[in-house]
Amino acid sequence: MVETRRAFHEELAQLTTDTVRLAVMARRAIHTGTQALLTLNLEAVSVVIDEDRAIDELTDSIEERAFDVLARQSPAAGDLRTLMTTIRGIHELERIGDHMVKIAKAARRLYPRPLEPEFGAIIERMGLQAMEQLSLATEAFSERDVARAQSLADMDDVMDELQRELYRAIFAAGAENDGQLQRAVQVALVGRFYERMADHSVNFGERVEFMVTGHFVEHAQQPHAAALVDPAEDEG
Amino acid sequence: MAKRIDIADLNIYYGDFLAVQGVTMPIEAGTITALIGPSGCGKSTFLRSINRMHEVIPGARVEGKVAMDGLDLYGRDVDPVSVRRQIGMVFQRPNPFPTMSIYENVAAGLRLNSTKMKKSVLDDLVERSLRGANLWNEVKDRLGRPGSSLSGGQQQRLCIARAIAVEPDVLLMDEPCSALDPISTLAIEDLMAELKTNYTIVIVTHNMQQAARVSDMTGFFTIEGTGKPGHLIELDTTQKIFSNPTQKSTEDYITGRFG
Repeated sequence: MVETRRAFHEELAQLTTDTVRLAVMARRAIHTGTQALLTLNLEAVSVVIDEDRAIDELTDSIEERAFDVLARQSPAAGDLRTLMTTIRGIHELERIGDHMVKIAKAARRLYPRPLEPEFGAIIERMGLQAMEQLSLATEAFSERDVARAQSLADMDDVMDELQRELYRAIFAAGAENDGQLQRAVQVALVGRFYERMADHSVNFGERVEFMVTGHFVEHAQQPHAAALVDPAEDEG
Repeated sequence: MAKRIDIADLNIYYGDFLAVQGVTMPIEAGTITALIGPSGCGKSTFLRSINRMHEVIPGARVEGKVAMDGLDLYGRDVDPVSVRRQIGMVFQRPNPFPTMSIYENVAAGLRLNSTKMKKSVLDDLVERSLRGANLWNEVKDRLGRPGSSLSGGQQQRLCIARAIAVEPDVLLMDEPCSALDPISTLAIEDLMAELKTNYTIVIVTHNMQQAARVSDMTGFFTIEGTGKPGHLIELDTTQKIFSNPTQKSTEDYITGRFG
């Protein structure tokens, strides 16, 4: 017995490798963009924007090659599930790149007045959390590890709590004029983008679970975006 | 009308040689079951054992049970010819009777099976069979021409018309499209989808995409090595087999990891 369709399987392996590469780029964007925001480093903002172009190009390239494989190779079973997960996964990763551009651009709007330290401390943790969730999803994908993929949903609670914490800090700071209000809205949006990025990692993890087990995973109920009012009231 | 087939613990021998071992397979009425697997895995032998066609080879015998709607097809009083009338077969290469006309090809089985028929009754049956095989419109103006004057795809549909003319309950197809061009292949596949309302169909195919396209259930056969008997490894819905098979050897085969 010999392995057949070797070129096809090599192409699949290359697509998987490139998807991991895309995830590494997205993770770097989170790191660079978060630092850009925390330190209002405008050069770093440009780096994130450039990186996003590279992310988009690699996403398109993977999608085109995956399409070609679908059109020509009639993949089945595990190969088909890997391709489906790749096509869905790169979309999640590409969205993370987009969110990071919006976060980095917020640095331009906040410039030159430094980010309030009470917001910065929470945002720094949100950045770390987003990176950790993405790393976990990526490892789950490359190692075909269901356990790690499934743990993402729980980790997402951490991000949701951070978002609520950020909103509470915004309210606590209060806004006494239009300038402060604009900054508060900007920071709230940034918090929302981090929360969305974490969701994209959760989605990626769900696709990984499907890839490995063959069972469609129901989308986790997206928790409502943390309310801009006190969460205790919101739950009532 | 379509009938169900139940195969239990079937061993198929050619003399002392055990070709297929221990197959248990329920086949629901009105479904298409595809049998896939590498060459020599016994899938064609298994197919032929369903209508006792393999018995034409001397020394061939079976152990176990093949039943159609509960009737044991290998029962002592069962005439293999009557089994083959109820379970028709279409072969790899179209094999119309070369010197017979298109009309006579379809009528041949009817003439063998029944006493003299009125011309008008026979005409109706021939037309209905040719329509059933999606061939009528192409041949209705030349029914007197020899069957061999048709294209390969048309000849195969003529053979299907001939098979369904005697109104079997089950149709066995042994790689019915392997000698056909892609368009003729798709025509046969479309025809199978129409036929399954009236016939239970079992098809052996080397074309996995064909199995994926046409069948409701797929069975994967393989052998451990030359001289070993073929086994049914996995039988499941086609959707399951091609998206998430249970057995690793099925996965390896359909993803081409082992030829």
